[in-house]
Amino acid sequence: MDSLITVISRKRFRTGWTAFIILFFLFFVILPTVYILSYALTDWGSIEKFVLNDPAMLDLIIDSIIASFEIAGIVTVIDILVGLPMAWMMVRKEFRGKALLDTLIDMPLAVPTAALGFSSAIFFAVTPESLAAPSFALNAVSSPFLLIVLLHVVFSYPYMVRSLSAILVQIDQTYETAGRTLGASALSAARTITLPLFRAGLVTGIILCFARSLSETGGTMIALATMANPGSFATGPTLIGDWKDNLEINPDLAAPLAFVSILLILLSLVLLVVIKLVIMKVHLPMGRIWPRPERLFSRGWFPKTKDGLAVFFLVVFVLIPSFFIFTYVVSVEPSSFDWGPFAESLMFSFLVAGVVTVIDIALGVPLALYIAKNRTGKLPEVLDVLVNVPLIVPTAALGYSLGVFWTGQNLIPTYDVLLIILAHVAFTYPLVVRNVAGAVEEVDPAYEETARTLGAKPVQAFRRVLYPMIKSSILAGAIMAFTRSLGETGATQAVVASAQTAPVYIVKLIKQTVPDYYTAGLACIVLIMVSFAFMLALRYITNRRSR
Amino acid sequence: MPDVKLEGLRKSYGDIKAADGLDLEVKDGEYLCVLGPTGAGKTTLLRMISGLLAPDEGKILFDGKECTDLEVEERKAALLSQTYALFPQLTVEENIMFGLDIRGADEKIKEQVLISMLDLVRLSGRSDAYPRELSGGMQQRTALARALASGADLLLLDEPLRALDARLRISLRTELRSLVKTLKMTAIHVTHDQDEALVMADRVAVIREGRILQIGTPKEVWDRPATPFVANFVGQSNFFTGEVLQSSPYTLIRTPEGTVLKGRPSELRPGSTAVLGVKIGNTDISKERKGYLKAKVERIIFEGRNLHVDLMTDNGQRLSSKVPSWRKGKIAPGDLVDIYWEESKGTVFPMPPNGLENELKVE
Repeated sequence: MDSLITVISRKRFRTGWTAFIILFFLFFVILPTVYILSYALTDWGSIEKFVLNDPAMLDLIIDSIIASFEIAGIVTVIDILVGLPMAWMMVRKEFRGKALLDTLIDMPLAVPTAALGFSSAIFFAVTPESLAAPSFALNAVSSPFLLIVLLHVVFSYPYMVRSLSAILVQIDQTYETAGRTLGASALSAARTITLPLFRAGLVTGIILCFARSLSETGGTMIALATMANPGSFATGPTLIGDWKDNLEINPDLAAPLAFVSILLILLSLVLLVVIKLVIMKVHLPMGRIWPRPERLFSRGWFPKTKDGLAVFFLVVFVLIPSFFIFTYVVSVEPSSFDWGPFAESLMFSFLVAGVVTVIDIALGVPLALYIAKNRTGKLPEVLDVLVNVPLIVPTAALGYSLGVFWTGQNLIPTYDVLLIILAHVAFTYPLVVRNVAGAVEEVDPAYEETARTLGAKPVQAFRRVLYPMIKSSILAGAIMAFTRSLGETGATQAVVASAQTAPVYIVKLIKQTVPDYYTAGLACIVLIMVSFAFMLALRYITNRRSR
Repeated sequence: MPDVKLEGLRKSYGDIKAADGLDLEVKDGEYLCVLGPTGAGKTTLLRMISGLLAPDEGKILFDGKECTDLEVEERKAALLSQTYALFPQLTVEENIMFGLDIRGADEKIKEQVLISMLDLVRLSGRSDAYPRELSGGMQQRTALARALASGADLLLLDEPLRALDARLRISLRTELRSLVKTLKMTAIHVTHDQDEALVMADRVAVIREGRILQIGTPKEVWDRPATPFVANFVGQSNFFTGEVLQSSPYTLIRTPEGTVLKGRPSELRPGSTAVLGVKIGNTDISKERKGYLKAKVERIIFEGRNLHVDLMTDNGQRLSSKVPSWRKGKIAPGDLVDIYWEESKGTVFPMPPNGLENELKVE
């Protein structure tokens, strides 16, 4: 043990290890994620032949990409409008049942979107007879576009509320109090003083919601397959999923697949930059005040109505759709079903998520340490920006790109499991890195430095001093990575069409010619329960940390 | 116990020179205070000695052996930071034992050291407490015990009293010094508080812009400052500029207004421009006695033991004086007073190359 510590404390070893970690990140995470962009240079001919010279194909692609961005944009706006009052209420007000409400808001975060998609579609959409939806389902939405918007709001809403309240907690309320002692009404003070300080939270929230909506595949596919008449409606990621499925039969799809992936990757990255610039640079005319109406809106019925509406929205548009599946499974005629394949796919999902999490921790924590401790350097700054790339890029495009990269390189044996694991590592790795880097930055470097002047080698200083302080963040990152991997459909399908993870299995149950709704429903419930257990664990850990 | 020697240490961050050719010798068992304004390079100096920061140039020697490239943990130089950095997840006992635990010391030795350390810093009853449960003074003593128990020979103290309230800060000065002296350790203590440095140090090194301006006993630094900056930073001074008339047996300076002032003998050539500095505590005022020049009392601030008197001369120069409080009632704002000092209290400096104002600036 001692000699091991001595070896890994040597400067040369430490430098080598850092280099290895950075190379892993660049070569296994970043490069495969955006590799498909090179297709535009090497195979422009096939893109021209199969896409640009095929008006029907081009229209389909353009329409679905536009639909993807429209949906993401509308969803984000809705999230801001309804998320802001909720965040405000959660941070600034004390009321009975607040802890429960707090847990409820987080629920859709943990549930795999495939399960959410099925559940929401049964609740909102006009569904076929064969599904036998409960009579008290809304049974109202017949537009696929609207259904997908509603679905995406369900799972992106918590991200917005979380990002906004995270910032709101940090904003010192004394600014507002000062404004009010100077004569401003509650609304004027909040609007002119606190809201402008919100930008950082708003940027995070918008980017998260937009990226999640743009990236979502499994739930969207299921919702479209569940509703009565989806027509030929498709989003960018569902196109990738469908085509990848047919790629073996129809190799001509390679060029359209690459084209869609390239568009999604480029547009999402451009958008990330634009959102950041616009929100941080544009000055809204926030200073203007209308004393009388604002005073009126500051008391009496208005604030109460606002809070009431926020809770109403949460219940009707987020919670009920999320858990409607339970009523479905109870009300529908039980049919015979075979647990075997689902149990197998669930085991496979757990295996993948487990291995992915271990890799994320082993190789993500060192990168987080490197980034957090060398803030002043150029390279860590670049890495810090790059870490966000796999979070922004739609996972279906990421998965397809990564599949093309590894199968084309012949550097590693391309077993399906291995490819799926590598794809899941690519989009979960940033979660661990960001969580841990954030935690390390909070810790005063004096702790580790003092430990070293007291005779501790770098490894000992980390293990004995820093590690106990960031342990819970590492665990939180691990659980996030695990649940994200467990719930992922888009990347899995796009990297290996025949993959049998639990969410992909559920998608297939519903998309097959004779859908097996009942088994799908039960499978969704199992997935929801498992994910929920993980989320409770996560909350327990993070709450303990904040104390 | 080591002596520490620094030779020509340089370190810059972009254009800022945090260490600009530092030379320093600290003797075995000495308590050295490094005194300087914020941004003078004090912390950089400590971090280079501890090994947390590599100098761009220069050498660091412990006991004559070069250790510029030695790893932090091998230097036996324990750092006591402003915030103490007590490990929050460990108890007082575990904190104190950290250094010995890391080295895998024998249980028996550990127990002996622990008992003697707890005894020394008077924390025997609190060994199971966590740092957050301790008062500021106790935290400070725990951090000190931890540094002492780690087997370090050299103690590096980075503003160790800064986070404490005023009264405790003053009482801990003597306590800290006597602990270090009991254990015969070498200590380098960095501070921006001149009183702290003067009370605690065997020798004081005044540092500014990465350079050591003067090193000497507290009395030397106080009575015989090497530069106008030192004269003003260690106890405020009044300054006069003028032409040197003679330099021994005492120095005479003639100001542009023609007033002739007296100071200690110097080596300045007659005819050159010089600066005369007099500590405000040595600048006396009187209504009866004739002085070097006259000034009007502008404001009197009661400071308890002393009165701080702000004065304005005929030609608009602002001066200050500190006189005992019992003289309150004998002077009032608006009075015209004579200003004088004993010639041995006036220090004469050559005119600084960048002018007096730049010289005195505390950034």
